[in-house]
Order: sequence, then C-alpha cells, then structure tokens
Amino acid sequence: MADKPRVAIFDFTGCEGCELNQLNFEDQLLDILAHVDIVEWREAMDGQVDEYDIAFVEGSLSTPDCINRINEIRRKTKVLVALGACAVQGGVNGMKNTRPIDEVRQEVYGDDKYLFPTLPALALSSVVKVDYNVRGCPMTQIEFLKVFTSLVMGKEPIEPDHSVCVDCKLKENECVYEKGMICLGPVTRAGCDAHCPSFGQYCTGCRGLVSHPNLKGMEEILVEHGLSVDEAWKRLELYNANELEGVRP
Amino acid sequence: MVQFYLEGDRISEFVAHLMKQKPVYAPHRKGQKSFSFEKTENAEDVVLDYVRTMHSIKKYFLPPREELLHFDLTKNESDPVEIPMSEAVFLGVHSYDLAAVGRLDYNFTVGSPEKNYLTRRQNAIFIGVSFEPDKFHFSGSVGIRPEDSTGCDIFLTKLFDGYVLEILTDKGQELMEGLNLPAHDAGKPATGHFHQHIFVPQAKLSEVMEHSYDNPVWEETAGKCVGCGTCNLVCPTCYCFNVEENVDITATKGSRERHWDGCMLREFSEVAGGEVFRETLAARQRHRIFRKFKYISDQTGQPWCVGCGRCTTYCTAGISIVSIVNRLIGDYERAAVAPV
Amino acid sequence: MNLSELKTPAELEDLYHPVMAEIKEVKRLSAMETYYRVELPGGEDLGHMPGQFVELSIFGVGEAPFSISSSPTLKGSFELGVRRAGMLTDVLLRQQPGTKIGIRGPFGNGIDVEKFKGKDVLIIAGGIGLVPMRSMINYVIDNRDQFGKLIICYGSKSDQDLLFTDELAQWEKDPAIDYHVTVDQGSDSWQGNTGVITTLIPGLDLDLANTVCCICGPPVMYRFALLSLKSKGFADENIYMSLERRMKCGVGKCGHCQINHSYVCQDGPVYHYPDIKSMQEAL
Repeated sequence: MADKPRVAIFDFTGCEGCELNQLNFEDQLLDILAHVDIVEWREAMDGQVDEYDIAFVEGSLSTPDCINRINEIRRKTKVLVALGACAVQGGVNGMKNTRPIDEVRQEVYGDDKYLFPTLPALALSSVVKVDYNVRGCPMTQIEFLKVFTSLVMGKEPIEPDHSVCVDCKLKENECVYEKGMICLGPVTRAGCDAHCPSFGQYCTGCRGLVSHPNLKGMEEILVEHGLSVDEAWKRLELYNANELEGVRP
Repeated sequence: MVQFYLEGDRISEFVAHLMKQKPVYAPHRKGQKSFSFEKTENAEDVVLDYVRTMHSIKKYFLPPREELLHFDLTKNESDPVEIPMSEAVFLGVHSYDLAAVGRLDYNFTVGSPEKNYLTRRQNAIFIGVSFEPDKFHFSGSVGIRPEDSTGCDIFLTKLFDGYVLEILTDKGQELMEGLNLPAHDAGKPATGHFHQHIFVPQAKLSEVMEHSYDNPVWEETAGKCVGCGTCNLVCPTCYCFNVEENVDITATKGSRERHWDGCMLREFSEVAGGEVFRETLAARQRHRIFRKFKYISDQTGQPWCVGCGRCTTYCTAGISIVSIVNRLIGDYERAAVAPV
Repeated sequence: MNLSELKTPAELEDLYHPVMAEIKEVKRLSAMETYYRVELPGGEDLGHMPGQFVELSIFGVGEAPFSISSSPTLKGSFELGVRRAGMLTDVLLRQQPGTKIGIRGPFGNGIDVEKFKGKDVLIIAGGIGLVPMRSMINYVIDNRDQFGKLIICYGSKSDQDLLFTDELAQWEKDPAIDYHVTVDQGSDSWQGNTGVITTLIPGLDLDLANTVCCICGPPVMYRFALLSLKSKGFADENIYMSLERRMKCGVGKCGHCQINHSYVCQDGPVYHYPDIKSMQEAL
C-alpha cells in the first residue's frame, strides 16, 4: 500500500477501557502501527487533524455536544468503526434509559442538574452511519485485530451472528449452567472466543444480542434457572437496554 | 474369546501399560461435574466410570477447528497442511460413541472420501467400556446396548470391583502383550436399564417422520429454543462445518480454517445476498430431527442418532429429542386410528 | 462401511486444496455483475457440463460457489458471471487480468444434456439465472444438429441490468432461436416487453410433447414459472431447474446446501422437477 491509512481514535461516554485495551496489544502493537498512521488520539497524543480514513470511536452518546462531535467525525472519516459495547449498543450506560431522564439527572447531579444537559445514552448507529463494529466490554481484542486486518486488506470484516455457546462448545468448556450460574451466552453474539466462560465466568451479554434472538425463550431459560421475570430482563438489559426498549412484555 | 479380570486397583497399571506403547486418549474429569476425553499424561487421571463427555471422540478425527491450508499473501501461494496420522488408543469409549464414529465413517467416505478425516481415523485403536445409563441416555432405543462391543479392539465390562476385559482383535491382543491378567471364567453382569425410550424402531420412524412435516411440535419447540446451536455442536454424528480465512496481523500470511457448524444456526443456510433458506427455528428444529431419523436414515436404514442424550443434557432450554420423537410417534398413531 | 476397502488416505486427493488459475479477462456486465474469463494451469479444460459450478477463492478473503457461464465447447478457459454480493465478490471486483485465484471443481451434476437431445429446448432465466443458463444456451448453439428449436425467455429487473447484451442481440437476430426478453421496469429508452418473466410464457409457441425446459432464477421465480408452464400444459417430467443454496465445500460434506435429504452440490444444482416436487424445502 502506497499511503498508509490515517487512523483517528475518539472517545465519548464510557470508561475508556476499550482504548486502553488498544494500548494493551503488547505483542501486536508494532505490527498494527506498521500498517497505519495514527493521526489523532487524545489518550495517547496531542493535536487534531481535518480528515482521516478510519475513525475508531469508543463510548455512547449522552449529551447534545456528543451529537455534534460524532457528526463531525462522520464528516471527516471514510470509515467509522464503533469500538466496544457503549459505542455499539449504548452499553451499560443504556441502563439509565430504562428510567425517566429527569430522575436520573436529579440522582447524579442533584440541584446542579440544570448545568448538565443529558440525553438517553445512545449507540453511535442511532445518530450516524457506523460501518463496522468491534463489540465487547471492553472491546474484544481478537475481534479488533480481525476488523483491523480486514480494513488494511480492503475487505469487509465478517460480523459473527451466532451465539457465544458455539465458541464455548468449540472449546469444550464446561457449561457454566452446570456450575449453577446464569449465563447469557445462548443469545449473545459470538466473536470473543467465549472469553468469560473459558475462565469459569458466566456471559453477561456485553457483545450484544444475536440478530434474531428468541427473547421469550431466553426469559424462560433464566426463570427456569432461578431468576424472577424481572431479574431475567434486568440481566438482559444490562448491555442491551436500547435494543430491548419496548420489547419487554 | 478370552476374558480376563482387570481388578479395580490394577486399572492404572493397565493404562500405564497402554501409554508405554501409544498415546492414550481417555475420559478425564473436567471442571466441577463434567468429563472430557483428553490425552492421558497420568494413568491415575483416567476415569473409566463416567457418565458422558461433552464431546465424543469425534473431536480427534474431525477437530473442532482445523487448518485446511496455509497461504502466503505476498506470493499468492498456499501449502497443504500436514495431517498427523493417529496411531493412538482411544480408551473408555461408550458403545454409542463408537457407533457414532461408524456413522461419520460413512459420511466421510461416501461420494468423495475425505483425506483429512480418514488420515486421522485410519489407525485408531478402540477400547470400549460398558456404561450405566443415566436419565438422558437412550441408545438402547436405537439398537446400541451399553455392553455392545462392536468396533472395539478390547472391551471392558464393569464389575462390582474392576472390569471383565475381552480381547476382540489382533490389535487388541498386541496391546495386551506383557500385561498378565487373571482369566475371568464367570459370566458378565447384566448392564443397567435405560430410563428413556423411543417407542418404535427406525423402520417405523421413517414412516412417522414422513407424516410429521407439519406437526405442531416444531412450532412449540421453536418457542422454547433460542437457536444457540449447542445441540448440534455436542452431537457425535453431526459433521457440518464452515470454512473461514484467518489472516495474521501482518496481513502477509494466514490459513483457511474449518470449524464445526450447526444447522440450528440462522447463518447456516444463508447465501450471499442475504437469503436464508431455513429462516424459522421451527424449520431448523425439523431439519435437525429429520437429519437424525429420516434423511440419511432413509438411504442407509440406520438412525443417525446414537442415543447418547447429549443434545438434551446440554440444552439450557430443556428441549428433549426423545420427547419430540415420541410426540411425533404418538400423533402419527393417533391419526392412524382416528375415524375418517 | 469398511475402511480397509478404501485407498490409503495418503493416496486420496486433498478435496480442499484449490488449483491456481489465472484471470485472463475482466468485463463489466452491469452495475452489479462482472464477467471473468479464467484459465487453468497449462490451459487445461475445466471439463464441466452446463449447470455445474466451481468454488472460487482468494487467499485471506474466502471461498464461494459460482456458476460456470461458458459452454463446455469453449476450450482453453472458462467464464464466470459474478454478482457483487459480499466480501469475496467485492475483492474479486478489484482483480485485474493476470491475477491468480483459487479454483476447485467443477462440482454438482450439471444439466443432463442427453435428456434434451433431439428435443426443443426451452430456457427460462431470471436475473443472474442467465449466467449458468448461458452455458446451456451456447452448448445448444454449438451443437445445433443435436437439438430441436432453442427457445429463450429471459427476465431482468431493468434493461440496465441485462447481462451479456452482445450475445442477447445475436440470439435475437438468430432465426434458429426463439428469443424473448422482458424487464420488470424499463427505462425511457426501453422498447421491449415490460413485466415479470412469467408474462412471456403464455405467448410461447411450444411443441409440448417434444420440449424440455430448464429454469434458473431468483428463489421467488420458480413457483410462478411452474404455474405458467403448467397452465400452458407443460408436463412435470419435461421440467428441470437449477437451485441456489450455500454450497460451501462442494463435495457433499459440510451440510450447508442441504434441501431436505438432498445435497445440492451432489444431487444438484440441476434437479428434475418430479424429483423435488415432494421436497418441501426445495421451492
């Protein structure tokens, strides 16, 4: 490739864990940098530029200012990649959307609430066109590498649309339900190589739902394994509040 | 046939004797409550008295992930991947899992014989072991008894303390050379009873399935099923796979890799352009059950389900293959006697 | 199955390893479709029959099935007509003549041309269904004396989407070919038929007792084409159809292309209609 793609990295409302996860590519960081020029990254460098080829964007949109900024990023970039659960689905921030926004403002900011305009936490895709997703909380490193390599090669990344159970079974992990835990793997989108179950933990659903989830069926599974209906939906909403808005019976 | 007595406290010695000759793959404890076939490193870790493993020994002949070729993008060239011959002993195999290997042998030899599978499969030595059916086993209904030694080189039948060891082939005889076990003159104990049954044999099932295409059970099952694919992935006779490219971060080399896939997954029947040919979970459940009791079975006369109970054991939604099949049988028989 | 009766695995061919073939020619057919002429090493013939497909791959990108568009009578190379429909075809679109791509195949049964010999041949092709049907059409044209009349019905979304327009013009002119074309929606300059492909069928002049038909098109087309043929009096046993599924491995192993009990990559993609009438998943 003659000119290296110019990459910019941005963050919105989130814990910045996804960006840190990028810096954590100890073995691959130099290989990554060999393919691209990073032209803007607040967490690691100074300065701003006018245009770039690929924008990696972390965090959900939760203030009017966020909306302006993401629109500007979209204008400046050829490809926009949402990075992590907050950017892809709204993430845990989306939980606030299940309550009246004024109540949330009051609780967080108290009497100063009028100084802090706030919106429901939105996925990037609800405001601008998102080309590709790197899911997970924090974003899945192996998926980032796949998406990144695809972009460098000029091919469209494949977004998996099967359950975490598939990856988990391929590794012959003991099913965490066997250990008496509650797991959202059956309706959660794979691509993380069943990271949490592989370490004996249950899946919290951070990568979002598969495209055609049977939510009634999942509710029954969760209730069958000891949750109340309300607890079941709260589990599902942890990372998917936006998608499940109005879906819960 | 010669029978020997393998005393309970000599099992490790027996395993060690095998390990001196060839790699030994056998059931081990895994996690809190599970078992899995593993390469034996310590003879003492082998558990012959196990319920079921999540994956059958299929995983050694058709690995969950397998590289089909390596490529070099800078030269646009590829190399085939060396497939290791498996000179190995598979110890502690239940009869239904060995029956499943027989089914896979058919799938990978019919039409175009597949080098990858057959290379791994060719030199396998099997030591079977009887099992005590738990609440999910139903292999008796598909003609596979716990004491069935078909395909084994050596077979072990559980006694109160230890096993009756039968040598069934020359390969088995060779393996046993140098290990002196006392002869066993008494008979073999009866094995346990199954707690689950499919009520009719395959010949009849084929007819039942023929009339079950529009049975409401598919929709009802689809209400509970979340389409996670687990039932496919733990099935010892499922052999479907997908192929994907892996490219390393330098974007200069990588591999073409296949991995297990399943017809319960929505993506499975999707073609370029987005058309999905088995869109509903009901249609996918029907396809899964018909693949076990109708499609290949009509051609071979054998059920492609071996009654291991894995799909039911590991289904978090509690969907039971036996209940579905018996429901179809019941509905068919009721319809047959119903007045016109 | 007795494994010992088989060849030793070392003697078996590697089913999944492609040969590297060279793209000799690339032409844009329409906004979505591109033509490729591909040559195997040493100019060896692919050895296919009309209706068969190949698995085409680009390392690092992927592999997918594509219908062969050229007739077996074309020697030294073969042709494909590829619709842009995903990652692999996107990347393929950027390849220039001289590029090497992986080819496995030919796979599938193809059209049993013996069943068409001595008969009038009716081809019904919708959209990119023309790509494989073109193989049969040119096979008939190149073996004129073995077949009766050639009747072609071709339907497309619009006149902009018509494929192989040079050849269409020749077929139209050819007095030995009864050629009909229609588009769902024509542009201002379109002067031909407008309407779905089935509107062409009632007007056809057919010798029903002596005509064999082959259909290929988008999934929704088959049922309507069948209805039109039947109301015309066409017998089931004279109908063949080529079906699309996800033929991932091409060798009857991976399971993706199954229609009920049938593997499309083995028993198809061309089916005799009476054989699939009772297969609920087929049409």
